[in-house]
Order: sequence, then structure tokens, then C-alpha cells
Amino acid sequence: MHNIESKNKVKNILIRTTGTLIIPVVVGLVLWIICTSNGVSMFPNDQSLTIFVRGVATVMLTTIALAINLNSGRFDFSIGSISILSNVISAQIVISSNGNALTMLILSIVFGTILGIVSGALYVLLKLPPIITSLGVALMYEGLAFAITGGSNVSFFGKTDVSGITMNIFWLIGIIIVVLAITIFIFDHTKFGFDYNALKAGQKVSVNTGIKEIGNAIACYAFSGTLMSIVGFLSYTYVGNIQVGVLNFGSIGIMFTAFLPMFIGGFIGRYSNDKLGYLLAAITMTFFAMSYSALQLKSSTQSIIGAVLLVAFLIYLNNEQTVKDIVTLKFFKKLFTKKTQD
Amino acid sequence: MKKTLRTLALVMAVLMLTAFVAVSAVSCGESAKKIKIGVLVADASGSEAVSFRNYYKNYIEGNYNVEFMYSNELSDAEAETAAIENFVTAGCKAIISLSSADRPAQIAQCEKAGVYYAVASGVLTDDEYNAVKNNKYYVGAIGPSLDVEFVTGYNMAKWAIAQGMTKFAIYGAGVGYRVDMHIQRTAGMLAALCEDEGTSYNGTSDVGAIIGMLYGMGEVTPAGLVSDKYQLVGYHALWNFGDATWQQTLSSVVAAQPEVILCAGTGLTVFGQAVTGTNVKIADIDSFTDDYSIAMTNGTVCYLAGKYASSIGPIFAATLNAINGNGIKGEGNTALALGQTYWVATSAEQFAKFQSADTPTAPIFNKVLLDTVIGEGISYDTFKTFVDTDRTPKN
Repeated sequence: MHNIESKNKVKNILIRTTGTLIIPVVVGLVLWIICTSNGVSMFPNDQSLTIFVRGVATVMLTTIALAINLNSGRFDFSIGSISILSNVISAQIVISSNGNALTMLILSIVFGTILGIVSGALYVLLKLPPIITSLGVALMYEGLAFAITGGSNVSFFGKTDVSGITMNIFWLIGIIIVVLAITIFIFDHTKFGFDYNALKAGQKVSVNTGIKEIGNAIACYAFSGTLMSIVGFLSYTYVGNIQVGVLNFGSIGIMFTAFLPMFIGGFIGRYSNDKLGYLLAAITMTFFAMSYSALQLKSSTQSIIGAVLLVAFLIYLNNEQTVKDIVTLKFFKKLFTKKTQD
Repeated sequence: MKKTLRTLALVMAVLMLTAFVAVSAVSCGESAKKIKIGVLVADASGSEAVSFRNYYKNYIEGNYNVEFMYSNELSDAEAETAAIENFVTAGCKAIISLSSADRPAQIAQCEKAGVYYAVASGVLTDDEYNAVKNNKYYVGAIGPSLDVEFVTGYNMAKWAIAQGMTKFAIYGAGVGYRVDMHIQRTAGMLAALCEDEGTSYNGTSDVGAIIGMLYGMGEVTPAGLVSDKYQLVGYHALWNFGDATWQQTLSSVVAAQPEVILCAGTGLTVFGQAVTGTNVKIADIDSFTDDYSIAMTNGTVCYLAGKYASSIGPIFAATLNAINGNGIKGEGNTALALGQTYWVATSAEQFAKFQSADTPTAPIFNKVLLDTVIGEGISYDTFKTFVDTDRTPKN
């Protein structure tokens, strides 16, 4: 009896480990083989690893920021605009006071959180569908960023050096670990997280049991804003400028980059933890990004591959059992049996 | 609590609406007599775009009875169509275009709406011009011709070669989007390298073939440059700042340690941060702004072919004349097609001289100068001489 239990335990651990790691490991291996057979490397220079880790950080944070609200049925188009506006405000302060990277990171987080709260409060107050509210907020924040700078891009070049964090791999790894730990703690180990998960599962029942959905929703928007301010900080301080000409929903593109990792993360989450899944999905996506660059693929080709992968993964998720049956030949057995019976 | 918040939101909304109506009424009153001109822009926030906008909005509006309405950043022909519709609805009498996704469509739309159309800081292709040169509503184009764009890229590469540089990278900017001027500039760079006997690009040194390849492939393949003398160690393009793939390619170009990155535009914006602390230099085509002043002084940028803000003054003069019924036409009643060139700075001192020659308060094309070609009876020859006159600050 004990033997069977321990065998089951080992089997269970094996299944969970395989399910958790299979996507990043297989994707990483396949891409490595493709790159190597083309005579190129995914990590061609000494900056590559830092760029890889930065890519993982930005994708993971964006995915979590998107998933927090989307998993609760709130489509939030404003996350990209929060990323821009929070960093435009902090950049103005840092440039005028000749501040450093850490100051800018802290200021961006503060402003990102505030902008997230405003976005959430508008959703709660206006009682409009979240898609409409968030589109309005996106337009408003894009316009504000443009107005604050007088329509000029923000350039750090020759004014202040804010690249200290984004160029340092240890800082980047630290950001990933801290954000992941905080997210897991908040959403899996606090009353807020329990309320969030209950509301996600059934809002009416949860509210009837005394859970305050308004505060919970605003807090989700605030946390999402915090994460997006860090995403913006990592991108803008690396390239040295903030492009503010992205009016008329130009900022919403960033949320679409998070869809595939969100679905992959959700899949991995079945075997372990969805937040860990988002990290592994971010690693997977960044493997793609690095290999695209190594193989010098055009951006149009990259877009097509991304779209095909997204659709293929959704098809798989919606037909999982059929796919499994095909792989294990059960599908053909069933088909054969049915035909024989007919 | 909920009721209080709702009331507060309602009060704020009413206040904002009242303020908006009041401000609109005041500004409408102010601008009632002004001639409205729409400006189409593909780039709303780049340094060159901002310097152009400041010249029109601050200097020209302050000195003439006109009001400029700017479009958002236009990325395609559909966006241009929508922007023109907005301008027409707002009562614009003319449209000046700095956006080139589909110029023939822009002209056709303006003709239909009965508003004048002009191209600033650029030109039409020969085929496009021949199709519209007699159009009543097409004022014309004043800017660097595609030949000038080619020569600008060519001269940049020749200058780098003359400095003894042999290891290059190229930043093609909008080559991937088939932006004509960026393709011509990039083709000019490759053509300059291919003038060396032992150098070819994808098996040819023919200029036409190189231009054709860039239009066809939408990119430069570094391995395509075969040479005994030169190395092309990297290529980058477009402006996907937040994308990890784009960032990795940017890093790879810098890590390959070219002596200079030959840029078809916006090179400092893209590579400024990445080359800081390295020996890699930037040669660029942009405008005489403060960022470039810093970059020329600290050696990040070694070569700049630049436009100056008020270079879009002459097309304004021609457009205003057309609106007032004093249109300037060339031989056979054809629209204007006049060229402009770039100023080239290769040192901080030269840059400073150019920058100080054209400032927001004292532009080269100031009111006194513009007034010489605004009004009745201005001949084509007078206007052509006005545009063609070399206004480069002398040493």
C-alpha cells in the first residue's frame, strides 16, 4: 500500500515537473538547434544575456499586469499608456534634478500605481464595460504624456544616466525575483488574494458572502499599474528615450504581446503555479526573440510566426483531449471501433 | 459613500464641460478670422518634427494671419485620409503634408474637397508629379529630391571612407517600410562603398540594381557586401524600441564594433544610449537640435547632414499665395517642384554655427524674407531663385 502511494507520489511529481518545464525546455532546444544549424548563436555577445533577462522581466511583468484584470473579465487596454505616462512624469523630474536610475524607478512605480488607481476608480465609478473605460483611459493618458512633454520625445541622452539598473543583470534578476515573490504572496497567501480568487470564480456569490469587490478591483488596477511602470522603466532607460507620439491607441500594442505568454503561463499553471507559469512563458517568448534576432528574421515574419503560434496554441487548448488521443493513437482506435460497430 | 462619489463625479464632469465650452468659445473667437492650414505628420514627436512644428506654430502663426492644425502621428494611408477629412471639416483652406504613405490619394482627396495641397520637406516621384502637375489644387513640393537624398547618403559614406574608416554598420531607419528617402539614402551609402573596384553588394555595384534590391527586400544584408577593403558588420532598422528582438539586434550591431554606424535618419535616437562608452561613432541625417549639439560635442556623432527648422518656410509662402489667389505656377501652368539640400556638419564648431543661424525667434526664413515672395505678381523665376539661393552659413 505504502509502495503504491510513493509510486503515485513520484509519478505525480514527474507529471507536474514535465508539465511545468516541457514548453520552455522544448522551445529552447528546438530554437537552439535551428540557430546552430544556421551557424548563428542565440547569445552572440556579452550583452546578450542581459538583454535576455531584461526581455524575460518585461514580458513576465506585462503578462502578470494583463492577466490580473483579464482573468477577472476586465479587459484593460490602458496598461501601455500607464507605462508611458508614469515614466514620462518620472523622467521629467529626474532629468530636471539630474537624478539617478533608482530615483526614476521609485518615482515611476509611485506614478504607475496612482495612474492604476485612477484607472480602476474610473471603471468602478462609471460602471461602463471595462473595455470602454480602459480605451478612454488609454486615450487620456497618451494625450497627457504628449502634452506634458510639449509633443517632444523624452531623451535621456547627454542629460542624465539612468541606465544603471537596466544594464545590470543582477538588478534585473532581482526585479524578477522580487516581483514574482510579491505577486505569489499577494495573490496566493493573503486575504486580498483569496478574495480575488473567489471573485474570479463567481462574483455574485462572493459579494453575497461579504467580499468587497470594488476595493479588490481598484487594488488590481493599482498593482497592474505598478508592474507596467516597471516595464516602461526597463524599456525606456535601456534605449535612452520615450516616444510620446503614440496617440490614438498607439500604446495598446504592448498588451497583445502578452497574450501568448498568458495562455502558456495558464497552461503551465495547471501543473504548478500560474505566476511561475508566466515566468516560464516569458523565458519561452524571449528565446523566440533572441533567435529571431540571431536568424535576422524580418519583423513581418516574426509577426506571422507569433500569430501562428498563438492560434495553434489556442487550437490545442480547445482540443486538448483530441490532440492527446491522436498522439496516443486512441483517436484512431476509437474511430476504428466505431466504424466496425457501424 | 457611493452616492457622494457619483455626485462628485457629476459635478466634476459638468465643470469640465463648462470650462471646455468657455475655452472653445474664446479660442474660436480668436481664430475666427484666421486662415486654417492642416499639417499632416508621420512623426509627431521626433526632434525634426518638433522643430518644424515650433516654427509653424510659434513663428509663422505669430507673424501671419494663419492657424496651423496638426494631425496625430500618421502611420498609413487610411490614417492620412481620416486626418484630411478632419481638416476639411474644421475648415482648413489648405493642407501641408509631411506624411508620405500615399501622396496621390492625399492630393485626390484634397482636390475633391476643394482645398490646396502642398508637400513640405520632400518631393513627389516623377510619375506622381506628372500625374498631378496641372491639378489646380496641387501647390507643389519643396524639399530634398530623391536624388538629393541619394547623394546625401553617398556623401556621408564617402566622408567616412575619406577619414580612413573601413568597418561599417548601417541603420536603414524606414527602409523596411519602403520609405523612399530612407531607401535612397541607404542606397547612396552602399553605392559609395561599391565604387571601390573590389567591392560589390549582392554581386553588383550598379546603383539602379542596389535601389531595386532595397525596395524588393526591404533590408540590407551585411553578408551581401563583398569587399577587399570594407566590412559591413551589422544592419538595423525601424523603431521597435520595446521589442527584445529589436534590442538584441541593436546590441549586436554595437557589439560588432563598427568604426561608424551610417544612419539613414534618427540614428542618435536609436543608437545614442547604446554607443555611449564605446568607440563606435554615429553618422546621421536629421536636424540641428540640442541633442545633436551635445552628441557632436562629446563625439558620439561625427557627421550630421541636417535640415533646419525654417526650411519649410518657402512651402508655407507658396501655399498662402495659393489660398489668396496668387498661386505660383511653373512653365505650362505646372505645380512647383523645387529642391532643397542639407547642411553638413562634421565638427561641433560647424554644428554650433549652423544651429545658431536658424533659431525659433530668428529663423533663416523670417517674415522679412518670406514677405518678398508673399503677395500678388510673384513670378515662378523669382520664387525659384528665392528657394534655390544657398543660405548655408559661411565659415
